[in-house]
Amino acid sequence: MTDHILSIIIFLPLFTALVLGIVRAEVRLLKIGSFLSSAVTLMLVAWLTFQFDPHAGMQFVEHAPWIKNMGISYYLGVDFLSLTVLLLITLLMPPLYLYMKHEERKGYWYNMMLLQTGVTGAVLSLDLVLFYLFWETMLLPIFIMIGKYGNGMHQYNAMKIVLMTILGSMSMLFSILYLGYMHYEVTGLWSFALNDLSQIDLNAQTSIYLAAGFLLAFVIKIPLVGFHTWMAPAYGSAPTPAVVIMSSIMAKLGVYGIWRFGFGLFESTLLYYAPVIVVLSLIGLLYYAIRAITEDNLRKMFAYSSGSHLSLIALGLILTNIYAWSGSLYLIATHALASAGIFIMIGLVYKRFKTVHISELGGIASRAPKFTFFFAFFALSIAGLPGTGGFVAELLIIIGAFKVNFWIGFFTATTMLAAMVYVFWMLQRTLFGPDNSSCDFQDLNARELIMLLPLVLMLLVTGIAPSLFTPLFEPQLSLFLSDILHTLGGVK
Amino acid sequence: MIDSAILLQWIVVWPFLSSLLIAVVYLSNTKAKRYTFYTLVGVGTPVVMTIFAFILIFQLSEGAQTIHGTLFKWIEIGDFNISLSFMADRLSAVMISFITFIGTLIHIYAAGYMKDDPAYGKFFAYFNLFMGSMMLLVLADNPIMMFVGWELVGLCSYLLIGFYHQDSANITAANKAFILNRVGDFGFIMAISLLFVAVGSGGFTFDAIAANIGQVSPEMLTLIGFLLFVGAMGKSAQIPLYVWLPDAMAGPTPVSALIHAATMVTAGVYMVARYSFLYVEVPDVGLFIASIGAASALFAAVIASYQSDIKKILAYSTMSQLGYMFIAVGLGAYSAGIFHVFTHAFFKALLFMGAGAVIIALHHEQNIFKMGGLKKHLKVVYITMFIATLAISGIPPFAGFFSKDAILVTAFASEHYVIWGVGTLTAGLTAFYMFRLLFSVFFSKEKASHALVPLPASMTLPLIVLAIGSATAGFLGLNEAYGGNTLINQFLALPDTELHISHASEYLLTGLNVLLALLGMGLAYKLFASEAKEAQPDSLFRSLVINKFYIDEIYTFFIVKPLLLMSHLIAKVIDPKIFDGFINLNVWTYRTSGLLFAKLQNGKVRYYALYILLAVSVMSYYILSKLEMM
Repeated sequence: MTDHILSIIIFLPLFTALVLGIVRAEVRLLKIGSFLSSAVTLMLVAWLTFQFDPHAGMQFVEHAPWIKNMGISYYLGVDFLSLTVLLLITLLMPPLYLYMKHEERKGYWYNMMLLQTGVTGAVLSLDLVLFYLFWETMLLPIFIMIGKYGNGMHQYNAMKIVLMTILGSMSMLFSILYLGYMHYEVTGLWSFALNDLSQIDLNAQTSIYLAAGFLLAFVIKIPLVGFHTWMAPAYGSAPTPAVVIMSSIMAKLGVYGIWRFGFGLFESTLLYYAPVIVVLSLIGLLYYAIRAITEDNLRKMFAYSSGSHLSLIALGLILTNIYAWSGSLYLIATHALASAGIFIMIGLVYKRFKTVHISELGGIASRAPKFTFFFAFFALSIAGLPGTGGFVAELLIIIGAFKVNFWIGFFTATTMLAAMVYVFWMLQRTLFGPDNSSCDFQDLNARELIMLLPLVLMLLVTGIAPSLFTPLFEPQLSLFLSDILHTLGGVK
Repeated sequence: MIDSAILLQWIVVWPFLSSLLIAVVYLSNTKAKRYTFYTLVGVGTPVVMTIFAFILIFQLSEGAQTIHGTLFKWIEIGDFNISLSFMADRLSAVMISFITFIGTLIHIYAAGYMKDDPAYGKFFAYFNLFMGSMMLLVLADNPIMMFVGWELVGLCSYLLIGFYHQDSANITAANKAFILNRVGDFGFIMAISLLFVAVGSGGFTFDAIAANIGQVSPEMLTLIGFLLFVGAMGKSAQIPLYVWLPDAMAGPTPVSALIHAATMVTAGVYMVARYSFLYVEVPDVGLFIASIGAASALFAAVIASYQSDIKKILAYSTMSQLGYMFIAVGLGAYSAGIFHVFTHAFFKALLFMGAGAVIIALHHEQNIFKMGGLKKHLKVVYITMFIATLAISGIPPFAGFFSKDAILVTAFASEHYVIWGVGTLTAGLTAFYMFRLLFSVFFSKEKASHALVPLPASMTLPLIVLAIGSATAGFLGLNEAYGGNTLINQFLALPDTELHISHASEYLLTGLNVLLALLGMGLAYKLFASEAKEAQPDSLFRSLVINKFYIDEIYTFFIVKPLLLMSHLIAKVIDPKIFDGFINLNVWTYRTSGLLFAKLQNGKVRYYALYILLAVSVMSYYILSKLEMM
């Protein structure tokens, strides 16, 4: 089993979905089946984490030829980076299924399982064609979730996210194919495996164009400022489970892509794009945060918030030093947890009030103290309060930025201020003040507490004792970093 | 023998655990009345902490070296190696001993003050959380943990200011407090990061930084020192980040006493003293700190003289006294600054708690000009508040006299005469506005007609204890000129600047201060003792002062409004018109060209014949021109 554990983790949800679909399972069975599949994957990933050796490189590798004459292979593996994202995906699925408990539309459940397979596959693929396949696979369920089950102008918004994302995907596909062809040119053999392609020497000009192809896909996914207009409408229209996956996982895959493929394939060329990305990230950090202040729709507000934090993650990544990198990785994890928490809370607000507009809310604190506690906790962890994991991550990125130079450090540190303004004003109008609604607001029930508590605990543990997690990624991360710095040193 | 390292760990961990316990019990059923449980856990915690703190300071005074206690390693990445560990040296031990002691008294007082509040449990959960955070701030042995405590006390302050959350105005005040504090923290975190980049490779505890501080260039040290002080401006309500403190009085009165008078707001002064190894290297920054302190002291005293809300007067008075402390630490008299923090904690906590008692007795009346004649009815409150007022006004031999005198003598002896002059003037004003408060509330004609609410013993007993403290705490710092040997300075052993001044001139300065204080007191007596009237905005100056120099309005106009405007600009113009505009332009082009091509393909044969003709002509022309060239 250990030989194929990654395949099992990827395909278990899809397999469950197929079996349930073939037997035309009724919705009750469907719920149990999807929850079980997520629980089993969680256990498998827990076991995998336990077996994971932080000092070794790629582990649990599966490598089999797939389309032989084109050199396309079925190539999977896990290292510190993919393990982080993998852990997040599997940790978030069970609470999301708990959240969806009363969802009776079957398509909803099938889409969620397909989505899990898509994102997991993308994170574990080491062959570029395979990666591309999963990358597109994960877009499909999102398109359906927004288009079919969304609200507002959901069909328009679903079309917008798909078209903009595909623009990026196409340019990436071009780069992938060209890289494969280059490999054929140089060695006489076709290959799309990441470690083969990273060996070929490209001339500077080609490398700049090819890197652009990849970067376009990733910056649209993140999204950096300028490539972001799909984000708020899509988040605003999507149903809660889809929003959680988009913000917590899919946006992070953009960063993951730069990390794995950007740095893996084009170390020195990224240096060429670094100033642009740094400037875009710093602008994005404040641009989204300022935009969020006056946003009335909670989902959209935290869509912008998400954009602001992802800009910070991208910034940390491009600064290439140990503190910024560790901070970025840490923020990938902690922001995923916090934003999953806040979007679930917003979903719960919607279930009770049938609105997510701040102007129609208020006075929740007087009626529902538990609800208030959890909502405020997640909002404050988004603002990076000490004691939650977000603080550790932001601190590391800020230190990393000051390591580069004072002004980058200065603008990065504004993250301390950026989130705070909209978060606190939002809390005031949403939770506090006199009641302005006559509906009977229920406090959290046992099921909701069970799905939220793990997130709270994880955020606290990551904030109070980061030393539990750093040894898991630090050795590989510094090795990866020193490799890149070595190449960069050669370039300079 | 008790292991002091374990004591040190528990003094920080205990309040966090008790806060968690209360919070869980409270959230499990918010409606249940569990007065005894909440009181036992909530008030018991600071009692235990006080005992621990006194054992620690006793061990230090017996000659023990700095006590260290490590809980666990917090993070280790590259050189960034931080532990969750604590350090009780003489400075932090003095701080925790009075914080826990006064904290205990205020907790007891709060048990009476908050008795009937439905959220009694929540209050003590927050209050204990605050005590824990404050311990973390003071006892941290590295800047990162200090910063964590620093932010957490800010959070507690936010939660407690907004305690009565049904009123949106209170939440606005809470937000304002947190946001302005965060602006300060923005400076603070930059300072820490720069410090780490500069000397972090040699370890990042205070001891290690102090040992390596010589490696940092003076320019960098100046920058770091300045940015650290930006943090202090926020936390300790100095110009220009002070505007949150008066509004913070929206919280329950025990909160104002504990957080916004005695402990949290003095964290900035403590921080400067903690970094004294850095500030002795950059006297220019010190002078800047002292100037900001002096300006804040005078500015706040002027505003306080025209306010009518009892808690706001005390809030401005706190800001003004904090200004004195910054004069001291800025000029390198760290012990004098900490000494004033110490005495101020007694009399300002007492003043707030007395004010709270008056407010409760008068059914939540806060305007001093609607009070009056209370000295007959509230004897204990009157006498204790009188003592505190004497102490803050610097009348010998009460506590404030010695500590304030030490600061003004320092300013004079170090030849910063402007700062000294401002400080001395403020001392006179302080006596004026404090006695204005006292006389209006307790002397002038009686206005309250309805019966007073009786006060429980848990509210009056702490007042008496603090009054004794306010009367006697000053003797700990009795200096040579008065036959003492500045016990507290010797115990603290901070790198104070050495100053020399003859006893004669010291007596002269002191005489001047006392004279000014008596003058202020006399003026207040004349104006307010028999008939107290609220100040009217009848002249330009008065309306300026009564409206607090319109600083809030200026901030709103220059910071809040542009931010909102920018947000709207992005929402209405930049996103839809520019970014989406570009995208939609492409969509439009694509669509239009599609429509254009559709026109060409119209099904009429003669058009198709025309296309063929055109194509053949172009091709023939091309081929012909190629042939000609050959």
